[in-house]
Amino acid sequence: MKRTWQPWGALAWLAGILFALPIGWMVLTSLHSEPDAATNPPSLTAPLTLQGYREFFGASTGQSSWPPLVNSASASIGSTVLVLLLAVPAAYALSIRPVRKWTDVMFFFLSTKMMPVVAGLLPVYLFAQKVGLLDNISYLVVLYTSMNLPIAVWLMRSFLAEVPTEILEAAALDGAGLITTLRRVVAPVAAPGIAATALICFIFSWNELLFARVLTGVVAGTAPVYLTSFVTSQGLFLAKVCAAAVVVSLPVLAAGFAAQDKLVQGLSLGAVK
Amino acid sequence: MPAAEPEVVLEREVPAPQRNRRAGSRAAATDAAGLGRARAVGFVAPALVLIGVFLVFPALWTIYIGVTDYQLTGAAAAAPKVVGLANFLSALNDGLFHNAVWLTVLFVLGSAVIGQNLLGFALAWLLRGVRPWLRRTVESMVLLSWILPSTVVAYLWFAVLDRNGGTLNALLGTPGTAWLVTYPMASLIVFNTWRGTAFSMLLYTSALAAVPPSQLETARLVGASGWQTVRDVVFPHIRGHVLTNTLLISLWTANDFTPFLLTAGGPNHASETLPVFIYRQALEGGQLGYASAVSLLLLLGNLLVALVYLRLLRRRG
Repeated sequence: MKRTWQPWGALAWLAGILFALPIGWMVLTSLHSEPDAATNPPSLTAPLTLQGYREFFGASTGQSSWPPLVNSASASIGSTVLVLLLAVPAAYALSIRPVRKWTDVMFFFLSTKMMPVVAGLLPVYLFAQKVGLLDNISYLVVLYTSMNLPIAVWLMRSFLAEVPTEILEAAALDGAGLITTLRRVVAPVAAPGIAATALICFIFSWNELLFARVLTGVVAGTAPVYLTSFVTSQGLFLAKVCAAAVVVSLPVLAAGFAAQDKLVQGLSLGAVK
Repeated sequence: MPAAEPEVVLEREVPAPQRNRRAGSRAAATDAAGLGRARAVGFVAPALVLIGVFLVFPALWTIYIGVTDYQLTGAAAAAPKVVGLANFLSALNDGLFHNAVWLTVLFVLGSAVIGQNLLGFALAWLLRGVRPWLRRTVESMVLLSWILPSTVVAYLWFAVLDRNGGTLNALLGTPGTAWLVTYPMASLIVFNTWRGTAFSMLLYTSALAAVPPSQLETARLVGASGWQTVRDVVFPHIRGHVLTNTLLISLWTANDFTPFLLTAGGPNHASETLPVFIYRQALEGGQLGYASAVSLLLLLGNLLVALVYLRLLRRRG
């Protein structure tokens, strides 16, 4: 039995390497000096250096790359916190107390995810233009919150549905109020699911490009938008650009691997466990 | 489905009084936590209001803009007129719109329905037979491409596919081939297959875990080929997963804006899928009314696909 596994193992390695190849190229190039980065195909033996990263953070130009990263962090963390504040009670009510027509509400949440993002872009842009919210990070926070809310509600409902009703009944018999029940009974069971939901919302907000690109400018530009212009202006300095790409990727990589186990359940809107 | 059989039998054998008790406890369970109707509505309302204001209202506004001659600049920008269905009629006669629809269909079929679906299933099937640590490692490697920001992956492909400095040309020995210009659609399809396979892989991995090992063992004993096993043993168990997966990846692919970052729709509209078409019409051409009308058509297309999916899902068993 064990012998027949060998070719599958080799094939699995091959598939994994093929998928990771462009990312490996990025990481390797980011650690090269500019002359080494310019060789093609990239050299595997060239000495490694952090010069690209230093350059990205403005070692020689003095131009800091922190503002867009801070913008992205504010937009992602801000909207994730808001999503949790709104989605946890909503999902709890939807999973614990199915009022008549509750499924309609759930499908309403789902249906908004059928909308092409680009279709909402124009009104959102025109509205921002009218009320002066262009290039303002709080507008992105609110937009990302509403974009991630439907998915968060669906996802959390599927996690909260795993709380056994017997436990809730027992808590009620023992005279526990709503707050106590939520804190002592529901939270411990649902905490991993809520954490995964938060990570998924964070990833979506951090990666979002279309809205950020159209709605922000110099002040509120997010990291992905900044990276696009960085590629245009610094494209010849491969090591520097690759370092920038790695820095922009790091937060979502961390979040993604933390949430890996719950990712599918989340993104299939709880349809698959 | 054989797996569901015992449960059905059990239900039938429950004596009447006992069944009533079960129904009673279920009714009580609907409000086990003592939430109360008013509070339940209060819990859901804020989320609904926000979604209403920032998702539903813009969608309705899009419908309105779609029946006007609204433009980004000029006279029609100051005072847009309602032109009824004129935008939709011009879409029907617009060769570039037909082109975008066709390219979107090609993109969805090639990279999502075929590419991601088959490759994702193949990977899930393959990883079933390898050691857990290796499986976890390969899954993580595949997941990288899925999780990174689209700006990053677009840049990577741009650099790897570059005409002069690109690594692909150096590896294949095809110097000077401008992949994104000469084969724009094929490049986009390969790119999106690479980009999205992780989701199908993870979804099919959890789906395959639900197939009873005893049935796979039986299939092996009677000498069924790999393909026969997949078709007759595995597929009936994961039919719902296949449909769910295909729906989600089709919608994501149809609405994906990343092609713009790689080819910007070019050369000469050769890779202009619908989201890119809408973006260019609106922000480069300034035709806000027309772009909104086309957005609406894309939205209807999405709903149509979702309806077909729901029908297929109901017809299971």
